[in-house]
Amino acid sequence: MVWFKKSQYFVLLLLAVLVFFSARLTEFDLSKFKDFENMGDFLSKWFPMNTQNLPYLFQESLLTIAVAFLGSLFGLMIALPVSFLAAKNTAGYTYLYTIIRFFLSFLRSVPEFVFGLILLTTLGLGPFPAVIAIVLHNIGVLGKLIAELIEAADKGPMEAMSAVGTTRWIGNVFGILPQIWPNVLSQFFYRFEVAIRTSLILGLIGGGGIGQQLFIHFKTFQYQLVSVDVMLIMIIVILVDFTGGKIREKVI
Amino acid sequence: MIQFENVSVRYPGAAEPALKKLNISIQNGEFVCVLGQSGAGKSTFIRCINGLQPITDGEIRWGYKPLSSMTSKEKLEVRRKTGMIFQHYNLIPRMSVIQNVLTGLFGYKKSYENLFGLFKPAERQLAIDTINQVELFVEPTRRVENLSGGQKQRVAIARALLQNPKVFLGDEPVASLDPGTADRIFQLLKETHDKRNLVTIINVHDVGLAKKFATRIIALKNGALFFDGVPDDFNHEMYTQLYNH
Repeated sequence: MVWFKKSQYFVLLLLAVLVFFSARLTEFDLSKFKDFENMGDFLSKWFPMNTQNLPYLFQESLLTIAVAFLGSLFGLMIALPVSFLAAKNTAGYTYLYTIIRFFLSFLRSVPEFVFGLILLTTLGLGPFPAVIAIVLHNIGVLGKLIAELIEAADKGPMEAMSAVGTTRWIGNVFGILPQIWPNVLSQFFYRFEVAIRTSLILGLIGGGGIGQQLFIHFKTFQYQLVSVDVMLIMIIVILVDFTGGKIREKVI
Repeated sequence: MIQFENVSVRYPGAAEPALKKLNISIQNGEFVCVLGQSGAGKSTFIRCINGLQPITDGEIRWGYKPLSSMTSKEKLEVRRKTGMIFQHYNLIPRMSVIQNVLTGLFGYKKSYENLFGLFKPAERQLAIDTINQVELFVEPTRRVENLSGGQKQRVAIARALLQNPKVFLGDEPVASLDPGTADRIFQLLKETHDKRNLVTIINVHDVGLAKKFATRIIALKNGALFFDGVPDDFNHEMYTQLYNH
């Protein structure tokens, strides 16, 4: 057992204890699966799919994509400059770095759902508050992730830009951005994918889109429409993943 | 032209200073090679000259003016007048040869012009001419990652030359290149040195190259000046003493 140290056995024991208590709290019990026929019965109600409303549901899907797209793109556009102030090597002042990091973690700690509920009071029902909620959360997430990419970037090009005699911020932009760009893009597309799932949830509080349709169909027992909604959602997510991968390939 | 007066550099937390009370004066037209073991302070020495590395004690003068009393604008001016190349080339990835070379003009232009790449046709032509001058025979639109080491260093030299420098610094510029390429790069540096009447200061591990091209050799040992003189005076005995503990 040369690979393991004594302290690692302790970690193993700790993990076992944590698993035990978490399982108790979550009522984790695989034997409950013995009633799985219920699930089969339920799923059989989903078919055949009711494609009558397909054009309308398609339109709602586009709305979902639009909400997620704006939410993550505007999030990226704001997060990108902010992240330079949230990275140790480019912030310049420690207090600035600390304040921005704190601000970003605040934005991350508030779920989009909560932002959405608060924004409803001024913006009313509809997709717009959903967009803003996703933008706010994404500033927090992308700001932190990009700041970490900046901190891990190779110093060489930055040093070369200092030697050229350009101003600090131009040096930072050219010394760092081209290096981290592919990773920024992949973070962006991942956040886009997440934003699609988020905008589904925001449909529950009136954010519109295919998520709201799913919610309505579910609550009114229209399971043959539920299956269409789920199919559309799967298509959207796969589509975003696929185009993201293609675009990133082009950039690298 | 460039004067070191009792210059010391101590890195935070280091027991020994990286440079110890250096007094060196470098005149116009000199081609200086800096020798010394790894960790002897060669890189620190080179980086002090254009202020990339702040010094902890002493004074570095450009002409009469000490670096420490310069405004940040004057410091940028010093950087602009100093072309610099590096061991790992430090090119900007995912950008083309000509885009990389044009960044050499950044010190002369306004921030928004740099940000949006607003270069005049004459400036682009200058970049193309300089690419030809460093004998870089590749498409200017090719991305720099796919070039060989020697080609990358030529791009870096072209970038530095676009600064229209008075001083040319090299921090181990040939340490990652094969001996033949290293010799050709030194040849190029020497030619540009003569043609443009530069002050050239280069760190190098290869004593042969230093003796072949330099007009003056400076050797550092443990951060202190070990040798300062013409290449002919740097004999085998010196060599042994410098590189043995």
